[in-house]
Amino acid sequence: MTEFSGHLRLRAARRADGRTVLAEQAFRAPFHLSKPYWEPEARTLIVQVVNPTAGVLAGDRLESSLQVDPDAALIVTTPSASRIFQMRTGQALSRQSYTVAAGGWLEVLPEPLVPHRGSVFRQETRIDVAPGGGVFFVDQLIPGRLGHAEAWQWAQLTLETEVRVGGELALRERLSLSGAELQELAAFFGSGPTCCFANALLIPPTLEPVPPDWWQPLHALQEAGVRLGASALRRGGWSLRLAASGPLQLRDTVQEVRRLLAAQFPRLGANLRKL
Amino acid sequence: MMSEPATNTDDHAWLLRLLQAGDSFYPTGSYAHSFGLEALVQDGVIQDRASLRQFLFLSVLPALRQAELPLAAHAWRALAGPDWKAVGELCVLSSALKAPRELRLASEQIGRQRAELLAQLHPGSLAATFCREAAENRWPGSAAVSAALEGRVAGAPLPAVLSGVYYSAIAALLSAGMKLLRLGQNGAQTLLSEALAPAPAILSAATVVPVSEVGWFNPWLDIAAARHEFADARMFIS
Repeated sequence: MTEFSGHLRLRAARRADGRTVLAEQAFRAPFHLSKPYWEPEARTLIVQVVNPTAGVLAGDRLESSLQVDPDAALIVTTPSASRIFQMRTGQALSRQSYTVAAGGWLEVLPEPLVPHRGSVFRQETRIDVAPGGGVFFVDQLIPGRLGHAEAWQWAQLTLETEVRVGGELALRERLSLSGAELQELAAFFGSGPTCCFANALLIPPTLEPVPPDWWQPLHALQEAGVRLGASALRRGGWSLRLAASGPLQLRDTVQEVRRLLAAQFPRLGANLRKL
Repeated sequence: MMSEPATNTDDHAWLLRLLQAGDSFYPTGSYAHSFGLEALVQDGVIQDRASLRQFLFLSVLPALRQAELPLAAHAWRALAGPDWKAVGELCVLSSALKAPRELRLASEQIGRQRAELLAQLHPGSLAATFCREAAENRWPGSAAVSAALEGRVAGAPLPAVLSGVYYSAIAALLSAGMKLLRLGQNGAQTLLSEALAPAPAILSAATVVPVSEVGWFNPWLDIAAARHEFADARMFIS
């Protein structure tokens, strides 16, 4: 079976006319880029990263590096979920490095990870934001091939995210569990057999104070089948965790979070042009 | 008549100091925190002894194994030098591991209070230097790092320090549980005994977790703690 050592490197820069362009781009399979397009209302460049292979396989080593220069704005998303296939031996690794300069804005909103039976996957994400730079990063997880009645069957899933703002560690989160372990937690907390997750991180692009009741509309999204909580990080910015009872609730709630936050951070109003 | 074998009590002076630091009589401020338990009780997730037990085993013990205990172990080693740069990084890491503000502030406040009290009780000790370094470099307080500091000042070995962290974390949670649930003293003590049983294996695993792999979070606990921060009514700070 082919093992990939794929990479994706993008640098977004602001042109003289104010638009963001990809000043540098390099990628190797399984990464592929669709044509970037400029979203005029949100003033953001949108890039779709496509994996033309079926998904992530044992032995895959994926590295992605996104750099946003001063006053540039970039959204990176994917058109479909990332399937992590069964691994009889070995594991797959994805290393993601995001750097945002002062005045820059980066949104990374890939479709969910879907770890299959017996998969072993590790994702390491490092985010470095200069003071005055902004980031919205969302990691989503669907617990298996729910359409095939396969859930919580992965062997080990490790998701690590480390965020530095102005060089200082603002957040480190680490989830490293087997499917059975996370299933047990989901059952105990009443989130059901098809529970899906999202972890979002928002580093505001300005140092201006946010309204004291910023959390209210987000927390109001909690309803039957959706649990959600947002809290302030130690060096500015917010962490938002979401547990939904299924993929549709997850998608809808993430969309609603973006819509609500767009009132404060207009770049989150960009249309990702997905059905 | 046989006499008792002579025992060098100096060898165990550290034990008395650790007992003092671990006593509920010791003013650390932890009695004011439930560490997310109140939020989960309000959500109806934890309703009784059985669900509290599940929470302990599913969430509290893994977090101890992968976060608080390794932090304390690394801090204990760094304080031997002391390597102040490493100690400061561990204080920051301790804070950064807790996304919900309430859980973070609970650790920071308890950690700061413990370190300052230690410096007051042992003037001229490592604790006084730690407090000075922390103030100068604006390190956040850390309950785990302060526990390691108490161990170093007491001259306690690492297993004893980690045992203290383990015991204190569970005892504090159960103490809050007795206020929040229909849980009597005997029920809490039997639960404490159950939670102490896997301690040797957990402590052993925690001592070999590298700094790069320190961290563990429970999404549901974080959600509940984040919402508790804005709750209209609450008994505990966290």
